[in-house]
Amino acid sequence: MTSDTANLGPLVGLRVLELADEKGHYCGKLLADMGADVIKIEPPAGDAARRVGPFVHDAPHPDRSLFFWHYNTSKRGVTLNLETPEGRDLFRRLARGADMVLETLAPGYLPGLRLGYRELSAENPGLIMTSLTPFGQTGPYRDFVTSDLVSLAMGGPMASCGYDDIAGAPPIRGEGHQAYQTGSHYAFVGALVALYWRDLTGQGQYIDASIHEACSCTTEGAFPSWVYSGRVVIRQTGRHASMDPSQPWQFLCKDGRYVNLIGGVPRDQRQWQALLRWMDSKGMAEDLMDEKYQEVFRRRTLGRQDPLSHHVNEVLTRFFGNLPAEEVYHGAQACFMPMGIVRSPEETLDDPHFAEDRAFFSQLEHEELGRAVTYPGRPYIFQKTPWQLRRRAPRLGEHNEEVYCGELGLSKERLTLLAECGVI
Amino acid sequence: MDYRGPLSGIRVVDFSWIVAGPQATRILADFGAQVIRVEYEGRIDSIRMGNPSPGSASGSPNASGMFNNLNRNKLSITLNAVHPMGLELVKRLISVSDVVIENFRAHVMESWGLGYEEMAKIRPDIIYVAMSGFGHTGRHKMYSTWGPTAQALSGLTYMSGLPGVPSAGWGYSYMDHTAGYYGAAAILMALHHRERTGEGQFIDISQVECGMVLTGPAILDYSVNGRPYRRPGNPPGNHSTHPATAPHSTYRCAGEDRWIAISVFTDTQWAALCQAMGNPAWCREERFASRTARVEHQAELDHLVGEWTAHQDARELTHRLQALEVPAGLVQNARDRVEDDPQLRYRQFYPELDHPELGPHKFEGLPVHLSETPGSLRQAAPLLGQDTDVVLREILGLSDAEVAELAEAAVF
Repeated sequence: MTSDTANLGPLVGLRVLELADEKGHYCGKLLADMGADVIKIEPPAGDAARRVGPFVHDAPHPDRSLFFWHYNTSKRGVTLNLETPEGRDLFRRLARGADMVLETLAPGYLPGLRLGYRELSAENPGLIMTSLTPFGQTGPYRDFVTSDLVSLAMGGPMASCGYDDIAGAPPIRGEGHQAYQTGSHYAFVGALVALYWRDLTGQGQYIDASIHEACSCTTEGAFPSWVYSGRVVIRQTGRHASMDPSQPWQFLCKDGRYVNLIGGVPRDQRQWQALLRWMDSKGMAEDLMDEKYQEVFRRRTLGRQDPLSHHVNEVLTRFFGNLPAEEVYHGAQACFMPMGIVRSPEETLDDPHFAEDRAFFSQLEHEELGRAVTYPGRPYIFQKTPWQLRRRAPRLGEHNEEVYCGELGLSKERLTLLAECGVI
Repeated sequence: MDYRGPLSGIRVVDFSWIVAGPQATRILADFGAQVIRVEYEGRIDSIRMGNPSPGSASGSPNASGMFNNLNRNKLSITLNAVHPMGLELVKRLISVSDVVIENFRAHVMESWGLGYEEMAKIRPDIIYVAMSGFGHTGRHKMYSTWGPTAQALSGLTYMSGLPGVPSAGWGYSYMDHTAGYYGAAAILMALHHRERTGEGQFIDISQVECGMVLTGPAILDYSVNGRPYRRPGNPPGNHSTHPATAPHSTYRCAGEDRWIAISVFTDTQWAALCQAMGNPAWCREERFASRTARVEHQAELDHLVGEWTAHQDARELTHRLQALEVPAGLVQNARDRVEDDPQLRYRQFYPELDHPELGPHKFEGLPVHLSETPGSLRQAAPLLGQDTDVVLREILGLSDAEVAELAEAAVF
């Protein structure tokens, strides 16, 4: 260990075995990007995520899935067939030297192979084992199968997302594997709580993490609306679901793009005065410069049903509709209002605040492309133990020799035999 | 309060409000951390007043259900941090604490004279987590954000919707929850680092950036292939672009606003779905004979599946399809989850706590079950300032005379 080690990330020195598919590979990435040595263990045919697009230059190949690339940065990768006795033996040997195991296999699968927490912890009492599954390890739904869509449906997020102005529109799921990412966020937090406990006591433990429960406590107002008011929130286009209809928040701008302002009107007198000056300077304040409107935000936030609020919202709809979205965004922010442009993900690359000033995006060298690739960057800036993309996602079995020969001491001949016999 | 959790030795000075910060400290408190909310009537957490979210219209700062759910297990003190004597108390509190967290805009703590440098003078190994919309550096650091702002700017709003119409977006502040998860994780990693090295640190979290991370593959498709996510056909509604498969959508069921999500990936699952539908003749048509064919005829397929589901009970159909190992599940609203979900009931996901003004109610539980150090829900959210006296006397060791002097000066 060099004296620089402390600068590499807070989880440097931590060895994690990842038996995770698309449900939990994000949790592995969160650990790996903070310095943990995450070894992704895939079946010899490769993780199914390798067959999910988009692919580099639209040329499908297990080593060219951008889906796989994103979720497996900073990890090493080996192949292993747990259905063989030799495979199970190798896994046991790896687990002896590991700090964490992260797995997303069906409940009961690993214990059925005698690779459950009980067996693994008997040889390694400090082991922290996290199982992230659709519904958890117990209960009537524990064997239910899922997809990200199904998890967002059952967990509650979808019931709050959709349209109130398109007849018959279904509940809508936010794309991008958000249920699995939410499950991964909780699995990550759970593993870190266990890690801190181990720091204090040396004791490991088992964590049962449920995607269904993770989604079920990520629905904000829907839960208290039911528990405290006995009401189910209604879905509304581009804004919060709520018990009663609210006015629009999402405004169409002159250039065809949309902006979004929570509440759809200013929140206080400071915002209101600044907004009035701005609208007036453009000659678009309509009747709002009238004396009777000047002080309306002094004492209160306008209620949803307030006719005045409705009027202001309508004038704002016309005002924003006469300006390009960028101007609305920066103009409203200059009036202290929490305004945002509805961007497509790639449009964030052009935002100088994030892309330049904060250098959010990260580059990783891809020697096979002969160039560096731009990745999304860090969710947090640690002053002393920074987040970092440490390496590109592993090619299938890329670190077999490094791990099995270099660390477990297998000979190259043995490695060949195991490969030919379908063990790795 | 006999519970001792894995974080029971940790004290958190919590200046955070609304949802994102309180979500972070809720997790810490559930695992035993002593989270002290520092509040002040002059800048009250609007969630306490039931605004903008469900709660009370009574005018009491203690009658919001949403606040109660977010702030259980925490303490509350009232303290005017911009009053010189209040600031002095805040500094004394920091000197005996492990973590400081806030989710103001970038300048607020600095303006109080409480930047990281200042805190580190008081408590060298302090962990200070600032959760803001735009982060503490950069040209727009003074811009303000609520959850929907961050969702719009990061791309998440755009990714939720039907093609060719305005975005549906997220019908709640998904990024308030999620930034809170990153806040909690950051604190836990900083505690781990401090345990090993004795070193504290400053952590800067931007809610917009947290959202940008969650769009990863779309960013890579653009940076590698030059393909923008904003293109005809996007967002895909409830269809699955990657991996391409069908049927994969939500289908109307019997009753008012009842829906089921069905995701068929394999031929086996397709055969099972056909069996559940009673193997109608159209199931055997060439246009649905393979996964590729089903993707190519997705619209017709959705229509036919929807005609069938429209007469089914959503939960009963969920159980029937799951028995055949078809990924399927009803769209559950909060009533469905709290009252009718046998899994959440079995897992006791909604424990009940009594609140002095609101009475007994259900709370959201923890989705991670730690075998040795489980979290716990011990007490409902604090009344505004209910712990001021205890914290001043027992944690800061103030005398009666000192407390009286502070009261006199209207510090709390």
